[in-house]
Amino acid sequence: MSRRPTIAEHLARQGISRRAFLKFCAATASLMALPPGMAPAIAEALGKIRRPSVIWLSFQECTGCTESLTRSHSPTVESLIFDMISLDYHHTLMAASGEAAERAREEAMQEPGYLVLVDGSIPVKDGGIYSAIAGISNLQMLKDTVENAAAVVSIGTCAAYGGIPMANPNPTGAMGVQALMDQGLIARKPVINVPGCPPIPVVITGVLAHYLTFSEIPALDALGRPLNFYGDSIHDRCYRRPFYDQGKFAKTFDDEGARKGWCLFELGCKGPTTHNACATTKWNDGTSFPIESGHGCLGCSEPNFWDAGSFYKALSAPADPLTFAAGAVVAGAAVGVGMSFINRAKKSSAKSAHETATLKDLEK
Amino acid sequence: MNEIELLNWVRGPGLNIAVAVFLLGTIWRLFEIYSLGRKKDLSAPRHAAGASGLHTVVRRSLPPPGMLKRSPVSYIGGYTFHIGLAIVVFFFAPHIVLIENLIGLSWPALPSQLIDLAAVVTMAAMVLMLVDRINKPVKRYLSTFEDYFTWAVTFLPVLTGYLAVKHLLLPYTAMLALHILSVEILLIVLPFTKLFHVFTLFASRWYNGNANAHKGVPV
Amino acid sequence: MSGLDNIPINVEASAMPFGSGNTGAILAELETSLHELLKSGKEHSIDLRSLPLLPGELDYLRERLGTGEVQVEVNALGPSTVVETAIRGVWWVTHRNTLDNVMAEFLEVSFCPDIIRAQRDDVRESLETLSALMAGDHDS
Repeated sequence: MSRRPTIAEHLARQGISRRAFLKFCAATASLMALPPGMAPAIAEALGKIRRPSVIWLSFQECTGCTESLTRSHSPTVESLIFDMISLDYHHTLMAASGEAAERAREEAMQEPGYLVLVDGSIPVKDGGIYSAIAGISNLQMLKDTVENAAAVVSIGTCAAYGGIPMANPNPTGAMGVQALMDQGLIARKPVINVPGCPPIPVVITGVLAHYLTFSEIPALDALGRPLNFYGDSIHDRCYRRPFYDQGKFAKTFDDEGARKGWCLFELGCKGPTTHNACATTKWNDGTSFPIESGHGCLGCSEPNFWDAGSFYKALSAPADPLTFAAGAVVAGAAVGVGMSFINRAKKSSAKSAHETATLKDLEK
Repeated sequence: MNEIELLNWVRGPGLNIAVAVFLLGTIWRLFEIYSLGRKKDLSAPRHAAGASGLHTVVRRSLPPPGMLKRSPVSYIGGYTFHIGLAIVVFFFAPHIVLIENLIGLSWPALPSQLIDLAAVVTMAAMVLMLVDRINKPVKRYLSTFEDYFTWAVTFLPVLTGYLAVKHLLLPYTAMLALHILSVEILLIVLPFTKLFHVFTLFASRWYNGNANAHKGVPV
Repeated sequence: MSGLDNIPINVEASAMPFGSGNTGAILAELETSLHELLKSGKEHSIDLRSLPLLPGELDYLRERLGTGEVQVEVNALGPSTVVETAIRGVWWVTHRNTLDNVMAEFLEVSFCPDIIRAQRDDVRESLETLSALMAGDHDS
């Protein structure tokens, strides 16, 4: 295989001027949520690194993550970042199909050190028969592909934490990539989780750009998410936060509070426990994000968000109906009445055992 | 189990169990206590009972003459932390949402800055009272494990709640889960410890006042 | 241009009685940076997209800073505009892509933003191109 060109060489070959490259680096720094002063460091790094091979595996997913990515809002930057990689396998986007497609994957796997991107969860129940591509179960394909990978990026909540396929009652035994590694079902490699349903497109490219530029895993939180995008909760970065602090809440979706843009906490907003960049990066050309359009956050970038009770129930409210309460009242009453009978019986037996003391007894 | 899973558990099955134990214990003990009854007092009343029961309920809420000076921490601290606790528990917006979800009643919330202040004052008063309990030989002598235990299970929900809101020590999600968990522990132990005074306080005062009047010491 | 730009968004000032607090912080950061620029020549830039701003706050900021004497349009990977604000030394830099969507937006504090200057490598290449051109003219 020929030597892969460095990214700067690759861009120069496309006739991109230094000035344009500078602009690209500034935009990339902004994309990666890095301080603008990092642009020269990015430019320097891009002059050294070579285009890595990327294998994108789609398992139990809805293609929403790919949809999100292909509709990302700065096509020029994103396409340049995608020029920075060599996307060798992506069964939705690639032109090849059937055996030719699988051959492309096998060829890419010849040279270790490639990057594996996964979207969708992996079913493991009953030997993983519930999802297969080209007759190979998802579990087997992931196991083979991860073996020589440099790192794995889990795109979307399904790949990161199991997502909707893993929701109760999880009929296929779906799991996320990290969980598979923790259970020793696939080889352990560095994992970057980019959760969201779907993840914000610029967050996907931002994380990729960071890995490609600095050839290292960015700083991650306890759930494996890059801190520069998932470091703050939606609530902390929300422009409606002052209303929360003032105790001004919308009670329904069409009351005065809702029209005035008050806090959506009582309508079930999961912003306080959700870590994502929606409130700053926003969606659709940076137009808005769910809370700005009047709907609470669903918490889609957190594990098990699907099973965390109703989307419209406040975070402080019980997630499930209190099914034991009525039974407990009846049981409590029964025990109480039972105890009162026991106590009465004790009392009456004490009474009957009572001997009246006479003067004689006292003089003894 | 990661923090969000813990949060989901405490908001779901955990709360279900805690509320069930709380209801079971409370109703059990109320039935048991009030069914005990008292032996009929056959002596002629030395004084008509009248409203002595009710008066005692009020009078025992005020320090007897001279006691405020002798034991200021108990009275001032006690009042401060009970009132502070009530403000935090009943006027913080997320708590009102919880109550509304459980029993359907709701009322306006106080701004979170006031709640913050009330929480800090409550914690300070509670710490002061604990120090006083340990420092004063008589109080220390009278204290049992239960006194320290009930102090801890009352203090922890306030502390974890405050830390959660202020994003201190642990990430909000984890702290919120611990906060709800600590409240669940409080709910579970409440019916079986001296914390049951929430339900029996006024009834027992009324009973004592009534009995005293019968014996000739009306108030 | 995406259809979203055709939807007019008007923010009623009364609906937002208070700001996010970030416009004040940005102005303060600019003040410090201008001091620094005069003292040591150190340049600085603020990424306007990394801050949570309320709807309308960007316009407020633009209004406060005003428009200065210089307005430059750069055409590299799509149009970029570099506009000097009425506060000289503070430049409003907007990078757009070929589809005219905003990719990044900065407030730069410098005597002249880098993106305007011709880059050394580009000049070297251009010199070669010019020499080749002249050589070609001689030949013909």
